[in-house]
Amino acid sequence: MSQGTPLNEAQALDWLRQLEDPGQRYYAAWWLGRMRSNHPEAVPLLIQALTERGPRPDPASGIDEPNPVARNAARALGKLADSRAVDPLLTALESSDDGLREAAARSLGQLGALKARQAILRRLAPGPLVAGAPRPGTSRLTEPCEALLEALGALGWQNEDGSTVTDRKPLLEVVQAYVDHERPLIRSAAYRSLLQLTQEDCWGEQLVNLLLHNELQVRRAALLDLGVTGWRPAGAAVAGTLAENSLKLIALRGLVENSPARNRTSPSPSPEEVGLLLAMDDLL
Amino acid sequence: MTRPPDSRQVQALMDAVQAARTADDLTDAVENLSACAHPMAIPCLIQVLGFNNPGAAVAAVDGLVAIGAAAVPAILANLDDYNYGARAWSVRALAGIGDLRGLPLLERALAQDIGPSVRRAAARGMGGLQPHGFTAQQRQELAERILPQLKAACGDEEWIVRYAVAVGLEGMDHWWLPPAAQRQRLLDTLQPLADPRREAAPVVWLRARLALNRLTTTPSAARA
Repeated sequence: MSQGTPLNEAQALDWLRQLEDPGQRYYAAWWLGRMRSNHPEAVPLLIQALTERGPRPDPASGIDEPNPVARNAARALGKLADSRAVDPLLTALESSDDGLREAAARSLGQLGALKARQAILRRLAPGPLVAGAPRPGTSRLTEPCEALLEALGALGWQNEDGSTVTDRKPLLEVVQAYVDHERPLIRSAAYRSLLQLTQEDCWGEQLVNLLLHNELQVRRAALLDLGVTGWRPAGAAVAGTLAENSLKLIALRGLVENSPARNRTSPSPSPEEVGLLLAMDDLL
Repeated sequence: MTRPPDSRQVQALMDAVQAARTADDLTDAVENLSACAHPMAIPCLIQVLGFNNPGAAVAAVDGLVAIGAAAVPAILANLDDYNYGARAWSVRALAGIGDLRGLPLLERALAQDIGPSVRRAAARGMGGLQPHGFTAQQRQELAERILPQLKAACGDEEWIVRYAVAVGLEGMDHWWLPPAAQRQRLLDTLQPLADPRREAAPVVWLRARLALNRLTTTPSAARA
């Protein structure tokens, strides 16, 4: 398989059109997502690539995951904001390849695909001891719980017809079952999702607790999760976390931009936002 | 107030840095050494910049910034062209110190470095220069040199670099002390960053807007 990345959009489309070299297809799919291509052929070609299975991973090629073309196509479709991708991604969510299900779940969340809510919920419903059980012989769980939980949080409560979900209890019960999962990254995803879905401070406080976790990987995840929720009371704790400044800056940007308190019509920052901006200044 | 540490105490803190076995121990030891801000610690702190341990490097940068101008010659003399991480941390230290001898390195970093974290530090550092003893004429000349470079960096592809440019432009006001007509040039340079139609990242235009608000509500060159 070839290595390297396409030079431009025309080459990326050519690479994705050809069927001989899966390496070229893999990097082409990545490129189109990364560059947010809006070429009319990009989405149809990626949808087609989503159905490709194989080849076996070949470490020599630099590609070390199964179904690499389909997975990268799923990831790219999440970035291209085209609703034609929703149904094909829902099909991918039922794949036997959990890595592909993971990529599909993330992208459905990114696309705000409200019709995916029930399918995602069904995957999580068996609970942390089943869907969240480690798969023997691997470091992965039966279901890609982190991606599924995050997608539910991203979708919120809106229905496809514009109304909002009235009976929230069933969904919240499924998500809440994961807050005691043995893996801190799964707990972080559950807190993030619950904070987005309920706006209850207790979930933000749990995320702040994870900023003190002894593993850097967990602190990083909690930083990014707080940024996505925009939960501003975390500002000082984010700024003081033992992690790279670059990540703390991304998280603080999230608190500024993603908070429900953000006044989108005001051109100037509020006093609370000024506090967050000054905390960012200190991290530059 | 505690007395400044004597050389024996500093030596003991440096020995602790050399003896540290784990990443966390190293970070703790460097934090202790940095806290004393003693010039004797400079070589040891510079050495830590090359260890590929972000926690310890942050602490070492803090120590070098606290020591200030006395650390600049050694930082410049020890730049390691082959250790990208160490060079990035050196730029961070020089940006924090604000000594003009470090300016050529900041300029090269802002224009050419591949790492956004290095470019952002350089942009912020240009706003934090401390041209001690400069006449108004010399400050004006320095501003003429730096303003076009920050203006060019407004087009950086990374949001965090553009954010740091807004901070750097606001910071320029503190050492430039420009008369009103000159200050307008700062405001004009900030304007595109503060415009939601031209700047994609809301956090960048909010920061640029904050800079504009603060620059237009403090009287210009009042302290000159």
